[in-house]
Amino acid sequence: MHIPDGFLTNRIALSLDVVSGAGILYAARRAKVDISGRTAPIMGMLAAFVFAAQMLNFPVLGGTSGHLIGGSLLAVLLGPLIGTLTMASVVIAQALFLQDGGLVALGANIFNISAVTCFSGYAVFKLFGKRIIVEGKHLFLAGFFAGWCSVMVSSACCAFEMGLSGAIPLHIGLPAMLSYHAIVGIVEGMLTGGVLKFLLKVRPDLMKDEGGTGFGIPDWIGAMLLVAIPVALLIVAGSSSLPDPLEKLLGATPIASGAVPANPLSSSRIGDYMIRSAAFILLVGLGILVSRLVRSRRSRS
Amino acid sequence: MRHNFIDRYAALDSPLHILEPRTKLLAFTALIVGVLSIPATNGFLFFIYAFAIAIMMGFSQVPLNYIVGRALLLLPFILLASLAAPWKGYLGFGVLFVRAILCLILLILLTNTTRFAELLRGMRKLGCPQILAMNLSFLYRYLFVLTEEAMRMKQARDCRRTASAPFKEELKLLSSMLGTLLIRSFERAERMHSAMLSRGYSGDFPVISPRKFSWHDLAFLSVVTLFIVSTFCFTNR
Repeated sequence: MHIPDGFLTNRIALSLDVVSGAGILYAARRAKVDISGRTAPIMGMLAAFVFAAQMLNFPVLGGTSGHLIGGSLLAVLLGPLIGTLTMASVVIAQALFLQDGGLVALGANIFNISAVTCFSGYAVFKLFGKRIIVEGKHLFLAGFFAGWCSVMVSSACCAFEMGLSGAIPLHIGLPAMLSYHAIVGIVEGMLTGGVLKFLLKVRPDLMKDEGGTGFGIPDWIGAMLLVAIPVALLIVAGSSSLPDPLEKLLGATPIASGAVPANPLSSSRIGDYMIRSAAFILLVGLGILVSRLVRSRRSRS
Repeated sequence: MRHNFIDRYAALDSPLHILEPRTKLLAFTALIVGVLSIPATNGFLFFIYAFAIAIMMGFSQVPLNYIVGRALLLLPFILLASLAAPWKGYLGFGVLFVRAILCLILLILLTNTTRFAELLRGMRKLGCPQILAMNLSFLYRYLFVLTEEAMRMKQARDCRRTASAPFKEELKLLSSMLGTLLIRSFERAERMHSAMLSRGYSGDFPVISPRKFSWHDLAFLSVVTLFIVSTFCFTNR
């Protein structure tokens, strides 16, 4: 599910970079992890644990193999914000150590694999009731559905991004990804539920709180806004002279090799680059601005 | 397990190694964006980028077969995904494939010419939040311990059974193994953390003799900028 560089168009990859970057900065500011507290080592160890657990492959049908993703497990244990941060560090480490997932595609990977799995898993888990962890009833079931849904939603996001980029058409990618991950998700769900049950039995103290980070209504609004940014960017960019990703997606205008303007000096070509570079500069500027803002806030507090 | 399988060649002393981590992060990101924005029909530009990357590979002193081996590990997935490229037949496949490979080699070069602690320091200076950097440095340190533990457990499991159990049993086994690994890791992490706190840990890991921004970096950055700008101009003409 890790997307390497080259499969997403710059527009999608960079806008997701900005979204993920801003999201991580926000989560880091919001989560307020005390370094001398007990969340910090557990976070680090869980990150290493998920990284290592992803190396334990198990066979799925047809000679392929799957592995644990673990986002929903982290979200349940640590809360969605810290879970996302922890998962993001796993994804960054995978890109840096194993070159699994690209550098510019990092934003997309963080979005799919950490943010989406953590939040969808957490939301599904919470559907089973507020006191599910304390009571321990249906814990396995809740963990199972959290794990399964998180994998499905995340793979659907991945397929959509690839489809919008024109790398893998949606009508092939989406069913393929979903059917494959429906099986992987079963194992993910069972492992999530199993580990949760096991932890409740052996170390119930770890399960009691979620590191003190609930996720209130303002946070949900913020998250929605964050997701709305790339969608808006895509729509705005769709009105430019670039090939419209949505049209490409729907297969309305299949782009033949001759569709590229024969004369590269034509104004639309230059316009393309103007738009592209303007969008790039805008995105980078936005990223810097957000990081400045967050930093100055933190230094004041 | 070898303890340097992640950044084995990061301690060399080549022109690429002596650069400041921030310079490298920015320049490599820019180069990857450059590779990604090459128009699909411009084969010549792909050659120019490949040539530039080859020059950097030569300067980096990282053995060629190591880079190729690393790239080969990820080749199956890239091939599979490129084969699904819907448009333009061979051309679409080739473009996706070449782009992905070039970016992959750039990433391999970046991580294998920079020590991880340096890379983290660079990220930190570029605005990465402390908690993320801290988490990454924990991950890096715990990973080897954990992987060894996991491999020991896997070996123990393989010694005790002769054939693979039915699927359900297998899952039960795997999840209890994961649980045990988790508990052991937690306890170890808590021990380590209190040991670190009692020795004055404050959230940042100091780097011994960090690289400084020097004229090397200035030269490298300007060459990379010039390269990317000129290729952009070239595509516009």
